[in-house]
This record gives sequence, C-alpha cells and structure tokens, in this order.
Amino acid sequence: MKVFLSLLALPALLLPLACFLYVIIQALPALNWELIVGSDTTGNLFGDAPNAGHGLWSQISGSLLMMALACLLAAPIALSIALFHALWASARQQRLLMMLLQALQGIPPIVYGLCGLIVLVHLLHWGICLAAGGVILAVVILPLLSSNAIHALQRIPVEQTESAKALGLTSAGIIGRVWLPAAWPGMLTGLLLAMARALSETAPVLFTATVFSGVTWPDSIFSPVTSLQTHIFYLAQEGSNQHAVDVAWASATILLGLVVCFSLSARFLRRYEESV
Amino acid sequence: MNTCIDIEGEKDLELCPSSPYVCLDNVSLSLSGKSILKDVSFSVPATGIISLIGPSGAGKSSLLRCVTLLYANWQGAISIDGIATSAWRGGEDDLRRHIGLIAQKPAVFPASIYQNVIFGLSRKERKQDQSELVEQCLHQAALWDEVKDRLHSPANTLSVGQQQRLCLARALVLKPKVLLLDEPTASLDPRSKQLIEASLHDLARHMPVLCVTHDLEQAQRLQGQVIFMCDGKIIEIAAVNDFFQHPERLEAREFLRWSVCDCD
Repeated sequence: MKVFLSLLALPALLLPLACFLYVIIQALPALNWELIVGSDTTGNLFGDAPNAGHGLWSQISGSLLMMALACLLAAPIALSIALFHALWASARQQRLLMMLLQALQGIPPIVYGLCGLIVLVHLLHWGICLAAGGVILAVVILPLLSSNAIHALQRIPVEQTESAKALGLTSAGIIGRVWLPAAWPGMLTGLLLAMARALSETAPVLFTATVFSGVTWPDSIFSPVTSLQTHIFYLAQEGSNQHAVDVAWASATILLGLVVCFSLSARFLRRYEESV
Repeated sequence: MNTCIDIEGEKDLELCPSSPYVCLDNVSLSLSGKSILKDVSFSVPATGIISLIGPSGAGKSSLLRCVTLLYANWQGAISIDGIATSAWRGGEDDLRRHIGLIAQKPAVFPASIYQNVIFGLSRKERKQDQSELVEQCLHQAALWDEVKDRLHSPANTLSVGQQQRLCLARALVLKPKVLLLDEPTASLDPRSKQLIEASLHDLARHMPVLCVTHDLEQAQRLQGQVIFMCDGKIIEIAAVNDFFQHPERLEAREFLRWSVCDCD
C-alpha cells in the first residue's frame, strides 16, 4: 500500500521539477547577465540582427512594479478584513466572509482582467496603465491575502487576547501590542505567497496594463508598462523566430525564479513561525 | 440571595462588618441559548480569600469573566467599590485595569520578563524606569529570586509554574482592587502551587481574592470562605471549615462525597 501510494505521489513531485529543469535547459542559449540587466530593445528580436544584445530589465521591473502596487493596495485592505473578522463580525458574518473569500479565489483571472478592461481602462478612462494592472492584481490577490491574515490572527492563543483585555488594553492596544507582533510572520508569509501569485498572473495585466514594446520605465502610474508574463505570451507566438523563442524561455526562467524565491521565502518564514 | 461574606466566617445580611467591595446582584448569563449563570448574587468584603468550587460546568469561570466584563451579554448588576460597572467613568477598559484576572493557562506575551510585567502600564509609564515596581511585584508573586538575574530574557523560557507567577506579577503591577484567579494552579507542580498559595495569602490581606479551584485541598489550605456553585447557581456559602465539615445543602454533601471518592 505504501509503495503504491508513493508511486502515485511520485509524478506530483517529479513533474514540476522536470518542467523547471526543461525550462532552464531551453533558456540556456539566451540566458546571460546582459539579458537580465540590459534595457529594452525588443525591436532587435525581429530586426536584422537577431543576436544583437537586448535586455529584459523593463519587463522585470514592470512585473515587480505591478506586484508591489498590488500588494500596497491589497495588504491594508486584507488586514482590515482580518481585523473586522476577528473583532466585530458575528459568527454568521464570519462564515459569510470566509465563503465569499473562497468564492473570490475561484474566479478565473481572465474574468478579473475583463472587468478591469471594461471598468478601469474604458469606463474610468485610465487607459492601459500600471495603475489599472496594479488595482486588478490587488483584487486578484486580496482573497488570498485576507484568508492568510485571518488564519494568522486565529492562530494567536485566546488566552493572550483575554489576558491583554483583562489588563485593560483597548482594542487598538490589543491589535498593536498583541495581535500584530504575534501574527506578523503569518501575515508576511501570506504576503510573499500573494507576491508570487501576482507575479504569475498574466491575463489580468495583459488586458489592463501592458504593451509589448516601446516602454522602458513608466513615467507615471497612468503609463503603460511591459511585464515578463505578457512578454512571454507575445514571444511564444513567434514560433518561427528561434531567438524570440529562446528569449521567451529565458523570460520564463527569470519569472519562475522570482516566483520560486517568494514561495521559498514564504516557506522558510512559515517554518520560523512554527518554531517560535 | 444577597449574602455578604465576611472573612471571619460570619454570614449576615444586616451585620456585614466590612462594607462589601464587590457586589453581584442577580447576574445571569446565557451563551448560545444555554443558561450559564442564573440570578447569582453575593458580596465580597475588601480583604480575604474566597474559593469558588463546584462541578465542571457550574459557571465558576463564567462568573469571573462576567466580573471582568469579558462577556458582553450578561444581565444584572455588578459593582466594585460601590460603583456600578455600567457607571464606571473610564469605561470597561479602565475598569479591567482595577481587576486582576489570572487564567488557568498562563499567557505570556512574546517579550522579555521585564516587559511582560509592565505590559499593562501606559506607554508613558513603560518608557520610564520601572525596575523598583517590577521587583516589588515579582517579590509579591514569589518569582523575584528565580528571575532577578535574567529579567531581560524571553518570558517564554520560563517554566509553566514560573509563567503563572509572572502573570500574577503582571496583574499586580496595575495595583488591582480585586484579584480573580481561574484555577491558577491546575497544571502546576506542588512547589509552584505552594508558592502561589503563599502569595495569595499575603495579597488577601490587602484585597479580596476570588479563586476558582477544583482542588478541594487547596480550598481548605486557602482558608477564608467557600462559595459552592452548581448548575449556574450559588448553592452554599460558608466558612471553609464549616463547609467541609458540615455542608448544609444536599448538593454540597453529594459533591463532597463524589470528590472524596475521586480522591480515593
């Protein structure tokens, strides 16, 4: 039985590893330091000099900017939701809130992208821009962040809260001096996971924030950006251009590396949290 | 029932020798549709120990939580030092600063021993040097000798018994008017029990101490008075010796008989 179950579990372990290795191997021809730190010269991909140097720095910074904006917008709201859940929500409201958060996590990201396109880009006349991408990504990661924040608060022993109350601490005092110091590792873990999720979302930013070329660094939050996710999407469609495909693999490797970095950091932080 | 308990063991509505310090008048509590406390009334004088005993689910811990206003939906009236809790000028949070509550499971905060002791003080007070106050309270909680050389070590490195005494010191820093303890020695070793009981005896000379306990031997060691509760009601109030030697009510006699059987 043990051997049988182990054999069944093996593909689950090996498949992601195999994918990761395959992506890296495919990326090797194009992967170099210049590619990461070089500025955008997307035109070279389709020009007469396919081997000319070009970089993905604009795409990397665009992805990171949108991720940071999304986290900046979503984190305070998620914290407020978690505090409302812990402090004021009745048992019925708590159940309803958790149900809602689970339902929101199940919505396909492309639907969020479509909503962003209609509401932010067209109705509010923001146009394709960093702000629209950040807001939509914030909406995408909000349920994940909120759930993590709620669970982080739930892990605080009831006795600590009661003791703080019995010492006459106000709600603000309990939040600031007991809950946040105790829950921050859990909340930070959630934030890192949400960052990884924001980095890996393509459809929402494709519709609302990114263009393929002509952008290096956005002038303002209402300027369009370019991102690794959408860069891969565009390059992958150039199947006949080997150099473009190689750069797509290289972009995928960098994106995967960033996501794995955030996920592993979250994992280490959770381990630290459990050891405290 | 509105009985004033006197530390000397006399029970007299009209001739209460010291003015009641904590008064509960027809306090009732329901949780999730279940009646936990039913019209509980009694008064506590300004000093002395009162042990709250009774079977599990009798409402003893809930009673302490009502006095500390940790439940919101209780009915009746509670007054401390002659002031109704509902009329307390500083509000509930301020009132709780005057009531020391020690829970069964010690809950130390993720900070140093020193920081834990001064946790309840205001921000301004915490910024000042409180070494003398900390030493005084740790002495009162019989913990000073064990921690005096490591006041800035994390509090969670202390043993459970030491953590419980740290919680007692933390409550004492606020100079409470009344001390409530919910099975404070339930999971402690005999030495820690002895130290906490000795502290309670000292403290009871200056303030009323209300202690929930399942340990009948402890109730006898603590002396003072006993309130026997069952099914959310106060069944009997008596001096310790009277209660254990000549319980008046059938429920109390049965409870003592079962408890003796359990001990055997």
